Amino acid sequence: MLALIAAVQPLLIGAVLLWSAAVKLFSRQATAAARRSALVPLVGERRAAPAYRLVGTVELAVAALLLLPPAPPLEAGAAAVLSAGFLGYLAYARRAAPASSCGCLSTRRTPVTNRGLGRAGLLLVAGIAAGWAGEHWLAAVRQRPLAAAAVLLVEAAAVVVLSPELDARWLLPLRRLRARITRPLAGGGGGVPLFATVQQLQQSPAFRQVAALISSDVREHWDDEEWRIVCHGARYRGRVATAVFAVPRLRYDPGAVRVAIVDEATGVTVANFAGARSAPA
Amino acid sequence: MSATMDRRRLLSTAVLGGAGIVGATALGSLAPEAAFAADPVPVEPGAPDPNFAEGRISKISGSMLLVTGSDAVLHSIRVTDGTSIWKLTPTTFDRIAIGDGMYARGLRLPDGTLAADSIWVNIVSLHAHVAAVGRNVLHLDHNGRRIVGHVVPGTTAAVYNGTPAVSDVSLLRVGRHVQVIGAWHPDTNEIDVATVYAAA
Amino acid sequence: MAAVIGEMSWFCCGNTWGPCGTVGHGACGTCNSGSLQHAWPNASDACLAITRPDACGVGLSRRTCGFRHYTTNLCTGSRIGTTIADCGPQTDLFCGETACCGSSCGSNRIIDLTPAAYSAIASLSSGLRPCSVDVV
Repeated sequence: MLALIAAVQPLLIGAVLLWSAAVKLFSRQATAAARRSALVPLVGERRAAPAYRLVGTVELAVAALLLLPPAPPLEAGAAAVLSAGFLGYLAYARRAAPASSCGCLSTRRTPVTNRGLGRAGLLLVAGIAAGWAGEHWLAAVRQRPLAAAAVLLVEAAAVVVLSPELDARWLLPLRRLRARITRPLAGGGGGVPLFATVQQLQQSPAFRQVAALISSDVREHWDDEEWRIVCHGARYRGRVATAVFAVPRLRYDPGAVRVAIVDEATGVTVANFAGARSAPA
Repeated sequence: MSATMDRRRLLSTAVLGGAGIVGATALGSLAPEAAFAADPVPVEPGAPDPNFAEGRISKISGSMLLVTGSDAVLHSIRVTDGTSIWKLTPTTFDRIAIGDGMYARGLRLPDGTLAADSIWVNIVSLHAHVAAVGRNVLHLDHNGRRIVGHVVPGTTAAVYNGTPAVSDVSLLRVGRHVQVIGAWHPDTNEIDVATVYAAA
Repeated sequence: MAAVIGEMSWFCCGNTWGPCGTVGHGACGTCNSGSLQHAWPNASDACLAITRPDACGVGLSRRTCGFRHYTTNLCTGSRIGTTIADCGPQTDLFCGETACCGSSCGSNRIIDLTPAAYSAIASLSSGLRPCSVDVV
């Protein structure tokens, strides 16, 4: 069994390398992917795209060596060295450019994660195991097709699970389905959030009238029947004041928002604006 | 408590009661057009702003906050009755704790302290992908790391493609990109979600 | 460059507390949350490949690290001058998003300010505001 497992590793590694090479060499987004990757801080912006394609070429070459007969251990060694190098690159990217995109098996924006590191580690182990292969993978598959298929299926599943680039194909749809069935965020009641009131306040003519006076974020707020009262700190002619807004609580009507500027020291209302319907002095 | 109620009654009457109405003409010199012509804040672009402070609260003494900035500079922040304090929602001085992160904007006084107009405690602005949703929780992928966002009923608001904010966050789709304004739980990977901006 | 109308947001950078939009001192190596700085979507070729404002039909001039922009909050008229210290925002992830203040609206995210800069012209709790960006 161990001999079989070792023998089919070149097929798995070769397939992954072929896919990776195809992304780097033939995708229309390859240049953009290179520019988003950690190759930019590593080799510079101008050399990132050529370096990306060079890596793709090497991957293609190693994949061809692995997939085509014969199966000398040297090819497995090359694959192991490539995986080790890639593991090192990912570790560097995680530290030096954590917001960069992996650019590994997809041109989609995918940050370097522990899963990606795990996948590179899996391929490294596979490469080392392949060094013990006594025969070419095709011969092993012909001899024991079902066992070979089972081993490859399990390993391919592991690669998929460890590939964040592929989440959109299976993991996210599963999570969406679960959310559709269980509706965990439904029933989020509890009244009108303050943010909705502040949004309405900032849309209002009353706010634009006094915006230059306002000196702070929301200081306090309370509900008064159909209104929500929202207070900001303000400065009026050098004096400390409060800008008191009355915002319709249960309907969206920025034109109805009213404001009063109240002197903090004396409690006197020094200015007042009743929405679009202002009263003359 | 009754002082607060009296104050609120005064302020409510001022804006709703109609007594002593002074019309918009009294505010004429402060029309938006005049404000548009105002000069920019006179601090050199690119330079540290002396009227702003950021860091973690290391000591609370009376109404003063001692804050250790990310550049290891110490800031003394003076909090008054006129200071607004945000910690997920507008709140009071007693809710501030040692170890909280904060940003403060105000006026740098001659004695070197910052008289704060606004303080935002533990506020974060994150861009993330929604990795999964759970009961009152959003699992967010932020720069390759997982952040747990707690939905707070009555407080958390969602803005879907620029429309007026609503409390219903159930329309957030797994896999979509969002911007989240929230309150960080210090020294954890968890936040309370104040506002979620979701793309179309 | 004529003034560009759009949306402004904020992000943190530098060796600061909490989860930050930018790890470290940003693409220019100089970004700090307490400085009057901003992120620009077209600071370099690599930057443009990430932010893709063209995907939203937004054309922004190439401006590199240290370049000075002036951002005006369309809600209040207040204005702040900042210099480029990072790459961002990711405009193409929010194509067509609009923020309004009365009849003044801005579409698409065109600038990200540091907390120091954003709080000078808006409240950090708002997160997103319509703005105009100019070079003078």
